[in-house]
This record gives sequence, structure tokens and C-alpha cells, in this order.
Amino acid sequence: MKINNKEASSRRPGGAAICTWDYIASTMPLCKTTSTLLVLSVVSLCVSDGDVVHVSGPDDTARQQQPVFVPAAGSSSRLSLLAAYPEDLEISEYCLHLRRIFQDRYVSYVTCLVPSSRPVKLCLNCLEGFARLSEIYTNISNDQMGPGNCSDSLLRSDRLMLMFRLYVDQKHIWEKSACDKCVIQDLRIPTNDTLYFMNELNQTLSCFEKYQQGNYSDLCRLCKSKYESLSGQYGLMEKNKHLCIDIEDAMNMTRRLWSKNYNCIYPREETIPVIAVSCFMLFLPIIFYLSSYLHSEQKKLKLIHRE
Amino acid sequence: MANITKKVSWSSRADDSNATGEGTPLINGSEPLGYSRQLSGGSIFQIGRVSTVDMDEEMTSDEDSLRGRPKEITHNEKLLSLKYESLDYDNSENQLFLEEERRMSYIGFRCLEISRWVVCGLIGLLTGLIACFIDILVDQLAGLKYRVVKENIEKFTTVGGLSISLILWAVLNSAFVMVGAIIVAFFEPIAGGSGIPQIKCYLNGVKIPRVVRLKTLLVKVAGVICSVAGGLAVGKEGPMIHSGAVVAAGISQGRSTSLKRDFKIFEYFRRDTEKRDFVSAGAAAGVSAAFGAPVGGVLFSLEEAASYWNQMLTWRIFFASMISTFTLNVFLSVYSKKPGELSNPGLINFGRFESNSLEYNLYEIPIFIGMGAIGGLLGALFNVLNYWLTIFRIRYIHRPCLQVMEAMLVAAVTATVSFTMIYFSNDCQPLGPDQAEEYPLQLFCADGEYNSMATTFFNTPERSVRSLFHNPPGSYNPLTLGMFTLTYFFLACWTYGLAVSAGVFIPSLLIGAAWGRLIGILLPSISSSSSTWADPGKYALIGAAAQLGGIVRMTLSLTVIMIEATGNVTYGLPIMLVLMTAKIVGDYFEEGLYDIHIKLQSVPFVHSEPPATSHWLTAREVMSSPVTCFNRIERVGTIVDLLSNTSTNHNGFPVVMNNAAGDEPAKLCGLILRSQLIVLLKHKVFVELARSKLTRRKLQLKDFRDAYPRFPPIQSIHVSQDERECMMDLTEFMNPTPYTVPQETSLPRVYKLFRALGLRHLVVVDDSNRVVGLVTRKDLARYHLGKHGLEELQLAQT
Repeated sequence: MKINNKEASSRRPGGAAICTWDYIASTMPLCKTTSTLLVLSVVSLCVSDGDVVHVSGPDDTARQQQPVFVPAAGSSSRLSLLAAYPEDLEISEYCLHLRRIFQDRYVSYVTCLVPSSRPVKLCLNCLEGFARLSEIYTNISNDQMGPGNCSDSLLRSDRLMLMFRLYVDQKHIWEKSACDKCVIQDLRIPTNDTLYFMNELNQTLSCFEKYQQGNYSDLCRLCKSKYESLSGQYGLMEKNKHLCIDIEDAMNMTRRLWSKNYNCIYPREETIPVIAVSCFMLFLPIIFYLSSYLHSEQKKLKLIHRE
Repeated sequence: MANITKKVSWSSRADDSNATGEGTPLINGSEPLGYSRQLSGGSIFQIGRVSTVDMDEEMTSDEDSLRGRPKEITHNEKLLSLKYESLDYDNSENQLFLEEERRMSYIGFRCLEISRWVVCGLIGLLTGLIACFIDILVDQLAGLKYRVVKENIEKFTTVGGLSISLILWAVLNSAFVMVGAIIVAFFEPIAGGSGIPQIKCYLNGVKIPRVVRLKTLLVKVAGVICSVAGGLAVGKEGPMIHSGAVVAAGISQGRSTSLKRDFKIFEYFRRDTEKRDFVSAGAAAGVSAAFGAPVGGVLFSLEEAASYWNQMLTWRIFFASMISTFTLNVFLSVYSKKPGELSNPGLINFGRFESNSLEYNLYEIPIFIGMGAIGGLLGALFNVLNYWLTIFRIRYIHRPCLQVMEAMLVAAVTATVSFTMIYFSNDCQPLGPDQAEEYPLQLFCADGEYNSMATTFFNTPERSVRSLFHNPPGSYNPLTLGMFTLTYFFLACWTYGLAVSAGVFIPSLLIGAAWGRLIGILLPSISSSSSTWADPGKYALIGAAAQLGGIVRMTLSLTVIMIEATGNVTYGLPIMLVLMTAKIVGDYFEEGLYDIHIKLQSVPFVHSEPPATSHWLTAREVMSSPVTCFNRIERVGTIVDLLSNTSTNHNGFPVVMNNAAGDEPAKLCGLILRSQLIVLLKHKVFVELARSKLTRRKLQLKDFRDAYPRFPPIQSIHVSQDERECMMDLTEFMNPTPYTVPQETSLPRVYKLFRALGLRHLVVVDDSNRVVGLVTRKDLARYHLGKHGLEELQLAQT
């Protein structure tokens, strides 16, 4: 990288900054002749300058290095004629088709997401939708060699890159929820752990429902085994790092019900023994210091006089 | 008595209780002005001395009063102990030295320079490894303990019987601490405490017995692991500095006297001057490993030993520090299973402060200064309490078994108090996703929540500090923090000074972080605009700095250490202001903790400045006299007698020259040390022998180095009756140009000479170059500025 930069600056005294201006003045060959790395570095410099407009260029070699830049002077006339793209810039019918599929799947996925946001159920409910969305996105992004090169024309022809961004956001949500920990995306089914947990959860909740009419202490007593087995399963999954947001949230809710609503927490019953033991312990040093004060012989030092 | 007429005798009543022969440098107490040569060894004096020779034996009080024996007093801070000697930082430029220097080639000097660098690198490496070893072992042991106790508590929360958990915790703590205390109290008492006072003394030029031995290092390392794993309110940072210093002192010598192995390398460095330089590098490497603060380490050495400093040495010390923190970093990254990810530069990791909580506003500076003042006040309180406690300990708890018991009790009480606080705390916080607490205790909290008090008490102190710095706002409620500060303050104060090896840095930081965070939480409730007081973690940091500054009163190095440990320069100004205020406020009431402990050890410490208002004192009043001198050619018997006289265990002897007439007083021509004389006697360098055996090997500087640093006691050297009549020529071996001052030199002048040159003996001469007296460290250190003007410390046998 360093050597390449040196090359550039030796050719054009002044280095990278000058290269940017040169670039605007259509000196593409410079960048083409230098190595890929240099192209990238120049490109990033140009981007930071913000003087260039990003549109897809006709040059085939430049197409490999996206985004592609074209001198600013030529762009203003094109912007006014929105419909009059040259032949190879127009999005092919195939790509439009892909885009439409993406649109449908995106909409259905988001429609699933919103109702699953609270209480959180997105991993289990929207697994299908996300898998379909991923599939079509993968199709689009893999379509580089195809007739219209939909990957480039749909996903990264402009600064905004909206489709890409829409998908990445959804993917980010999915990853943040750690959904892959409790569903198998390829098979579009929940894992066995998850199913087992959900089963336990349902039993516990139905137990709560059954006894919540009467005294809560009954509920605490009767549902304890169910709740504990649920907690056990949760602990196991936590240890194996098999938790996703659905399970965490469900467990949190159950715990809150258990501890706060039904107030099934351990009472502080042993105050007296704890205080007794503590007092005993605290007394020991007092005895120790007193006895050493009274019984230990005080260390005496011999003074040495200097008259 | 034939040639004793030329010799001035001592009338000191110093007696030698340590038979090692590495006796004390002198306190020749006698008439300061009426120094009279004629009295030397006079019979009156001898009688007077007979009663003082066997002071070790117990005497009843009436005998005491009858014979006018030296007064017995209880230990206090205004004493100087006879136990401590000076180090010889002044190079003796005798003929052997000059010869060696002449023989040494240019390459030889280059090699010496290179080997200095190699030694520094090794110091850094080994110090880092030791730090790593301590860290890993503490982590494992403490982890084991907390897991066991946690499981136990969880079990008994459901079925009842939590008092058993309490007892389990207390017993585990005591067991760890017992091991730590036993090895310290019975095997190596000097390894107790943080070791910083001892290293400070060493760098100041006081030879603390056994402070840089291998055994001390082993006890120190094992002791600190036990005390931290034992849950005491202590840290492992202070002992690291001591460990680094021992490593340095060991490596630079290229041999181990304890293991009786000599690697025959680095022989040139076997003297106090070179060793001191390496020890300061070791101390710096220790600081650097402890806090991940290489620059702080260098500055620590600079602050503690500023009188002996040069540019190249600084650069080497910095090198050692860097190597040390790097080594620790590499090995800890392997330990934490992320090899190559260098994110653990120090034992304590303050963690990185997030960028958005970084900023501080101009209007916060007065608050920071106020916190500095609080830190100073609390620090002074801490020091006063610890001072009284230490006095009590010195007076009453001096038997090793009592010390072990005390340490165990403190450990048990620490566990008890912690448990009680956790038990009665109602502060429950939800478990976060990125849980910082390794051992969250639920106890009586709702499921999915943990006891907030337990994050501070049920954890090693370092982790607690980190949680206080970094846990998000709302993790603690004010009551929890208040109670924690209060209890931990007293626990830490009680713990420091126990016979365990443990540092005070972390407990101070923890106390400060707790009340700092408390202030950070309370501030928004006082002011109306709540949003502007961003992160309580920031106040925790400032509080920690204030508290630590208030207790140890370090300035520059502490600022840099804090900046480096937090890894951001933005807080540089607030931390500096806080430490300044803490020091000013604290010094108004009481000295720093280390200084208190140095004082209580009765160490003759030469401070950087002479006591004010001491210009009227002259060398004549300060010096000890009369002085024992040797002739340039002295009878062996005289030397042996003088050296083996238990009442005069002096270390430096001026060498005087007779003029031809013999009746004129002798003039000073050199200075010879006890250690040199002993080596000479051992090799029997007598004039007569040299004449008879011409082929005899000439004594070289190497022979002196081989005996260093444990010169054999005079008792172990056998001199036959015939040999006693031989003569010894000291010309070659004495330092021909000792530093001298005239009698009228003022105390501050003498003081500066001592401090800047690292002197051990300063000969006071009259206008015709005759020896009048000798100034040593103890003669200077006894003056200090008290509340009633200049006071003199008394000398005592400890």
C-alpha cells in the first residue's frame, strides 16, 4: 500500500489530493494502471471530497470496483432526463421481477414482526418470513453474472442503497434477537430445546391460571415443581447458550409473575441465627484485643543516649 | 595500647544484638563539643560501659534504676532504630578500582552498557510473569471460593440455614488468610504489608535487612495470593512493586546467595550503586505490571528516588516497565483464551470509559475539587486510625502467633460483615445481558434479579472497583453505597498493617469509588437539571483518585497511573486537581500512610528537604565524635579488636596518616569500610605475608564483589595470635578521597550533600584536615520539624 502511494506521488507531485482533482478532470488511466489497492484508496479519497456524483459507469473494468465515478461535468445533463437512460443502464425486466418478489416478502415479514414485538415472539412466529426474505435477497445478491446483473443494479447503484439497507436492518434485528440460537433457519423449524421449553412454559402458565383465583401461597406451593423444572430447562439452555429473545422474554415474564405478582419469594426467616452468629464473630476480635492488651507484655525498647 | 594514642575511641553505648556482624553504622554518642582524645578507652569509660554491654538480658526494674541503665520506653514514632544501616551509594575510588578501570577496554564498557539493557529487559519479563502468576492464581482460588460459597448460599436460601453459609464463608476466608499470615509472620516478617514503604526506604539508601531476598519474594507472592483469595480488604498491586524490586535485585547480581548458585554473570553490578539503579527499575516494572502504567511506573521511581537520576537510567527503567506490562498483557491474553489480543496491560483493569461519558464540564471542576477535599479528609482519618492501630500492634501484638490469630479474625469478621450487609440489603437489580458480575447472588431478590450489595462485597476488590466505575446508572441505590463505604472504610483501615502481604491501593480505590459514585447519584437529585449530570461512573473515578491520594499522598506518579489505568487523558486535569486538593487537605492533618509506617518502623529516612529552621545547626553539633580512626598501616590485632567490639559496630573508619614527628595529630587520608576490612582480613592481606610470598595473588575488586552483599561477620574470621602482630597496609583499598566538610557547615548543606550524593559517611575535618567527627545518616535523620520547632529523635534498640 505504502509503495503504491509512493508511486502515485512520484508521478504526480502533491500526492493524493492532486489525484482527486485529476480524477475529476477525467484522468481515469492513472487509476486503471495502478493496482487495485491504489484504486480503492483513491476512490475513498474522492468520496470524502464529495465532489463526484455516483452513477454506474459504462466502463467494464471499473464496474468491478464499485461504486464507479464519472466526471462531475457530465452528470448534470443526465439528471434532468430521468427516463432516458442509455440501454445498459436500464434495469432489466428480470431484475424488476426479483425486486417485486423482494417487496412482497418484505411486506409480509414486517407485517409479522410488528404484532410479535410485544410479548416478543418474533423468532418463532416470523421464522418462515425471514427465511423467505433471506432467500430472495441471496438470489439478488448472487445474480452478478446474470443477464442484467441485478446485484449491482438493484443493490448498489446509488448512494442510498435502499434495498440493501432494508435487508441489513432486518438481518440486524434478527441477529440481535439471537434467533438462530433457537430455530433452525434452513429447515424453518424451532430447535428441540425450544419446543421443550415452550411446552414447559405452557404447563407452568396453565398452572398459574388454574390457581390464581385462590390464595397465592397455594399457587406458590402447587406450581413450584412446574416452575422449577421450567427454570431448570432455562438454566440449561443458558449454559449451552441456546437462548433467543423469545425464550428470554417468556422466562422474564414468568419470573416476574412468579416473584412480583404472586410474590413467591423466599422469606427472610433466619434473621435471628444470622445476627447471633455475626455478633459472635464480631465479639471475637474485641476479646482478642482486650486479652492481648491485658496479658501480652508490652514491648519495651532500650533508648540509647547521646549526651 | 601502644598505637591507640593515634586513635580516637568510641564511647558509644550501642550494643550489638544482631550477631551477624553487619552491624549498625554508628551512633557515637558522646560529648558533642568536649571531644577529648585523652579519654580514649579510659578506664572510667570502660566501667561505665560494662553495665551497658549485656542489655539483652532481662533485668528487674530495681536493678535498672540502681545502675542507671538506659531508659526503657514503649514504642513510639519519635525513634530511630539501630537495626538499619545505610547502603554504600558512594563509589570507593581506591587503587583497585582505578586499576580495573584502566584494564577495561572500550568494548568492555560497551558490553557493560548492553548488559544493563539485558538486565532491565529480564527484570521486566520476570516481573510481568510474576504478576501474571499472581493474577491467575488469585483468579482461580477466589473463583473456587466464591463458587463454593455461592452454591452453598443458593442451597440454604431455599431450605433454610443461611447462618451455616456465613460460617462456611468465614472459615474459608480464615483458612486462606491463615496460610498467608503464617508464612509472613513466622518465615519472613519483612514481606508483610504492601512493601512500598520498604522499597521507598531502600531507594532512599537505607538497608532494610532481608528486604530484597529471594525468600522475601516467595513469601510475598504466596502471601498476597492467600490474602486476596482470603477475601481481605486488600489488593495485589502494592506487593507487585516489592516483587519487582526483589526480582531486579536478584537478576542484576547474576547469582542467588540463598540458593548458593553463582552464574558468573553481571559481576560488575555487585555493588550498592548499580543494584539501586536496577531496584528502581524493578519497582517501576512492578508498578507498570500492577496498573498497566509504564510511564506511571517510571515516575513512581522518580518520585521516590529522585535524588539519583540520570537520563539513560530513566530510559532503561522505561524499557523495563514497558517489557513488564507487555509480558503481562501477552500472558493474560493467552490465559483469557484470546491470544494476541493485548487488552490486559495491568493487574487492575479499570476498563475503558465510554466516549460519551467522557466529557466533563467546566462547572464540574469545583465539584471535583470538593471531592478532592473529602478524599483528603477521609484519607487523613484513615491514616490517623491506622496510626493508632499500628502503634497498638507494635506494642502488644508482636508475637507471631498473635499476629496470625489477628489476621484470621480480621478475615472472619470481613466475611461476617459482608454477609450481614448482603443479607439485610433490599437493593435488587435486574440481571443485565452483558453481566459484569461473575458471581451474582440472588438471595431474597425476585427471580432474574440479583442482590446489588453482593456485587460489591461478594467479589474480589478489583472487580468491585470495575463494577463501580462501569455499571450503568441505577445499578446501585444510595443506601447500598453509603453502607458499603462506611463498612469498607473501617475494614480496610483495620486490615492494613496486619501480618499479611497486601496492598492498600485497591481498598482505597474501592472506598473512593463507592462514595464518589454515591455523590454522582445524589447530585442530580440536588440540582434541578438532572440530565446534565451524566454518568455516576465518572464520579466514582474521581472519588477513587481522591481517596487514594488522600491516603498515600503520592502526586505526579499517581496522576499518571490513574490516567494510564483508565486509558484516557481527558481526565488528566480533574485527577490532578483532585490529587492536589487531597494532598493539601490531608497533609494539614496527618502524613501519608507510607510515611507513617516508615516513621513507625524507626527508619532513618532522609527526606528530600532538610527540616526548615535548621540552618543554625552546624556540622559540629550534628556529627558524632570522637571517631575511631585507623592508621594507614595498622596492626591486625587492633583492627580485629575494634571490629569485634560489640559496642562499636561502626561501618566507616577514616584512615589517618602519621607525620614523621609522631606527636602531631594525624591527618585524614582516606576512608575504609568495615566490609572492606573484613574481606582484607579474610584474605590475610598482611604486609609481612606479602613480603614472604612474592607470588601471592594480588587482591582484586572481584574479591570484594564476591563477598557482597553478605559480608561474613568478624566473628567468623579466624586470626591467629601471630597474625595479630602483622601489619596491614590500607593504602590500596581505602577510598583516598572521601567527602569532607568543615566544622562550620550548616545542617542543610550537609543534608543536601548526603541526599544528592547518596553518602554514607561524611567526615568532618578541621582547618588542618584532622578528623573531628563523622556524620552519618542517623545523625541527620534524627532532626525533624515537630510542633514545637526542631525536635530530635531518640535512638533505640528495636
